[in-house]
Amino acid sequence: MKKLIRFTLNGSEVSAEVPSHKMLLEVLRETFELTGPKEGCGQGECGACTVLVDGLSVNSCLYPAFEVDGKEVTTVEGLIGEGNKLDPIQEAFVEHGGVQCGFCTPGMIMSAKALLEENPRPTEDEIKKGISGNLCRCTGYVQIVESIKKAAQKRGS
Amino acid sequence: MRRFDYYQPQSLSEAFNLMERLKGDAVYVAGGTDVIVKMKQGAISPKALISLRGIEELRGMESDGGIKLGSMVLFRELERDPHVGAKYYAMKEAASLLANPQIRNVATIGGNLCNAAPSADSAPPLIVLDAAFLLEGPGGSREIPVEEFFTGPGSTCLEDVEILREIRIPAPENKSGNAFVKLGRLKQDIAVVNAAAMVMMEGGVCKRCRVAVGAVAPTPLRLREIEQMVEGGSIDEELLGAVESKVKELVSPITDVRSTQEYRREVSGILVKRALKEALTRAQM
Repeated sequence: MKKLIRFTLNGSEVSAEVPSHKMLLEVLRETFELTGPKEGCGQGECGACTVLVDGLSVNSCLYPAFEVDGKEVTTVEGLIGEGNKLDPIQEAFVEHGGVQCGFCTPGMIMSAKALLEENPRPTEDEIKKGISGNLCRCTGYVQIVESIKKAAQKRGS
Repeated sequence: MRRFDYYQPQSLSEAFNLMERLKGDAVYVAGGTDVIVKMKQGAISPKALISLRGIEELRGMESDGGIKLGSMVLFRELERDPHVGAKYYAMKEAASLLANPQIRNVATIGGNLCNAAPSADSAPPLIVLDAAFLLEGPGGSREIPVEEFFTGPGSTCLEDVEILREIRIPAPENKSGNAFVKLGRLKQDIAVVNAAAMVMMEGGVCKRCRVAVGAVAPTPLRLREIEQMVEGGSIDEELLGAVESKVKELVSPITDVRSTQEYRREVSGILVKRALKEALTRAQM
């Protein structure tokens, strides 16, 4: 079974004919060559595949591709602004050492994005809850939390 | 994961027709955070999924004194709804402790219930809140009390084509309080044990009590004997001590990857005690 899906991907209207058993993650990586979202566990535990669908963070490895028809999808690639300018969250991760091996980073940043859009001034506890669906195998959580705090300050200023 | 077809009906009748045609080969799917994981793990391999996401009739919350929740209401919505937070505190607490934000953004209350894990976090709150479920099939609908829904680990009383349509929770009585507590390796993990309680107090005496505990039996368990112990007296340390010992006798936990039988038995008593204490505090607020 196949279906033509049309959706907004990082601000552009796109379409693709996809097989019914594909998850959004596979379509993003294989069809649209966006390799920011990654497959870690493939079971909704690690959050490396986190993207936003209509502004909400989801595990794209468990999100059937058929379901994004008509929706708006944002990956970490979509955070980059005009003139290749990084989003304040990305800048903060670079400046404050929120990146070690980098595998969890796109997912962490998308969870942080979803959090800050809803709650621009989160407490440390709220930040930890906000990224509770993202695992960092390097265990660099202290710097990640710090980066999100700084990003919130930067966005607010 | 094996290839599968994916159907997206837009109404209940369309979903029933699809399921009748594909019976045996298809399963209904809500948010997919249990069904798709089971498929990836190879535990189930249906030839087709029938998605309930497009069915408007299954969405939305409606206050009618109590509250009616469409089965496709997201945990995200339950966690944030001020009415749920104020009156159905146990439900809100369970919703906000279920897994993580990405899961709560797609997982539904109906999906959690139909998956029928003995550890399902939404079950104990609904038991103590005296919820009823509206089940609907091609032949019509029926309403059943929450306890009759679960028939074993992963199994429910739903018939082949039937869908859990709505969860109906009556308004909590005045002077009552309800609470949910959970023990996991981390709080958002699948529960090692979870418990919920409701007490209605009048002049220091408990007039009505409900207690439920999860992950310690083949289905979420209502503890009627404990309710009878609590009703008719004041809730003090002596009573809570007796409750704790009695709970340990009533549960029949297993050992699995998350915990041992012995530990589950031990902590189930403690969690019920904590849930009762918290419900009491809320009843007095």
